[in-house]
Amino acid sequence: MMGLDRRTFLKLAAAVPALGAIAAFASPLLRFLKPNLEPYERKDFILNDTPHGEPVVAARLSELKEPWSYKYFVFVQKYPQYTPEGFKAANVPGVIIRLPRKVRLPWEWAGTKDKESDLIAFSRICPHLGCIFNFVPDWKEITAGYGGYMPPDFRKHALIGCPCHLSIYDPADPGEPGRVISGPAPRPPRSFVYEVKGDDIVITRVEAGGIA
Amino acid sequence: MGSALTDLWNQIKEWLRDRKERLDLFDETKVELQGNPLYLLGPMFYLFWLIVVISGLLLMIWYEPTTTGAYFSIVRIQEEIPFGWLIRGLHKYGADALIIVITIRIYRMYFAGEYKKPGELSWMIAFIGLILGMISGITGYLLIWNQRAFWAAKTVLTVPVYFDELPIIGATRFGSMIAFVFLGGPAVGQGAITRFYAIHFGISVVGLILVEIFFQRTRRKRLNMSLFSLALFTVVLSLISWKLPAEMGRLANPDKTPLPIWSDWYFLALYQFVKYTPPLWAGLGPQLLIVYGLIVPFLDRSKGRRPLERPFFTVIGLMALIYFLVFTALIMFNIAIIGRDPPIILLLTIVVMIAGIMWELSYRRSQVQAAQQAPAPAPRPRPSPAQGH
Repeated sequence: MMGLDRRTFLKLAAAVPALGAIAAFASPLLRFLKPNLEPYERKDFILNDTPHGEPVVAARLSELKEPWSYKYFVFVQKYPQYTPEGFKAANVPGVIIRLPRKVRLPWEWAGTKDKESDLIAFSRICPHLGCIFNFVPDWKEITAGYGGYMPPDFRKHALIGCPCHLSIYDPADPGEPGRVISGPAPRPPRSFVYEVKGDDIVITRVEAGGIA
Repeated sequence: MGSALTDLWNQIKEWLRDRKERLDLFDETKVELQGNPLYLLGPMFYLFWLIVVISGLLLMIWYEPTTTGAYFSIVRIQEEIPFGWLIRGLHKYGADALIIVITIRIYRMYFAGEYKKPGELSWMIAFIGLILGMISGITGYLLIWNQRAFWAAKTVLTVPVYFDELPIIGATRFGSMIAFVFLGGPAVGQGAITRFYAIHFGISVVGLILVEIFFQRTRRKRLNMSLFSLALFTVVLSLISWKLPAEMGRLANPDKTPLPIWSDWYFLALYQFVKYTPPLWAGLGPQLLIVYGLIVPFLDRSKGRRPLERPFFTVIGLMALIYFLVFTALIMFNIAIIGRDPPIILLLTIVVMIAGIMWELSYRRSQVQAAQQAPAPAPRPRPSPAQGH
């Protein structure tokens, strides 16, 4: 077998740098597709989309005295985006629950470790595919309407269930609040950081991730 | 080594030239087989595509692509604009008919072995056509901005986010990037509606231009259909639009997930699959199916074209068809027991695939034995594709 003939070699030698140059010039054009602001600041597609939320009063302490009492609320996130306002506001529905016992709050993402409380606030955006899940006070409703899951005795209390793909979460799991106990979800729901100011429970931040 | 590369390159060029010469997009080279209605599917594909594009262009006159205006502009088209119901009905039911026709045609090509030489390229284009049709479908029905559309867009585009869990690719956050580029941000909003509108329009228009170039070059007839069939299909679509006005659903509400959550009918089976599997696999599974569809002409080296002459591939095709129907039925009746179903389905799949392999092996063994017993068999006439069914 002969080696490379002259013509093929020259073609190859010319083609490689030419293709490289085209790729080098064309790749920044992908930024055209990039949805957020400040397009030249970073190469990362996602990073400077960190949203900012407005603090909101989720509930009053006096409303959540009983174990398993809960309240729905909505937290507004602002994502940078090419709109006339320069941002897009997205609602993050949440639920705040009074648990019957204290758990360690899952606030590592906010830099808070080992804080215990019996008040916990979850984003209701299912960490699986983004549906809005429900807080279901009666576990029998979970068995009837959410894919036939029968909880073991120690979990026979209020649970969280997502109607879309039937993930079930236990908000009061002692090791990991919001643990996935059935269904396809990969992790517990994202959590809110809250502060108690007098009688008000004020939500300040929500864990990032997912599609709102 | 260089000449080996050149050889390979030449072989690929040769292969492409050969397949391009015999490329068949809408069964226009199989007109003589149209006594079998399955060979009318190609021209129907072209007809419904034209109907959908023309009615779509007319809808663009009144449609308003904004989160606040979209839903009400379509209500207006449906209820106030003269013949708006007809144009919208033709667009919606034409699109449904298009997907049905492409799907049945794909199964015909599969079971009749039409993807074998020289039909490889025609098969691959038909298969890509189905995928583009489904993408066009999902980008199209978000434009209504009703509950079903909103939640379908949200769940479907959360799936690629899980590709960030993959090794190597994951580190580049490639998956989130797909979702961001389609949605125009990390939330389903105005950005998403604008981009979906562009994609929905672009797929059909670019596709139609390419098809027109193909017809110009090959000088073949575009629509190989009798005037009677053409009139019949158009009238039936119009009648359905009149008797069964296309649905509106409820206005999208980002704070409330509908129960049960549905999508267009051709995605329902996929929704059931998503309930059963971890989310990363829910994204990778359909991709494996697409890859299988694209490379099946090169996987299937069997000689015959009839289904019974290549048992393994027939079993795979039947299994895909049955899963599609059963999963669709399960989600429509809202049956899913997460703790019980997935292992049963996995076991069933493995058993059926092993049975398919056993069948293939025993078939091949019997072929070899038959060849040994009769050393000089008369060459069998090659069956025509029409006999495959």
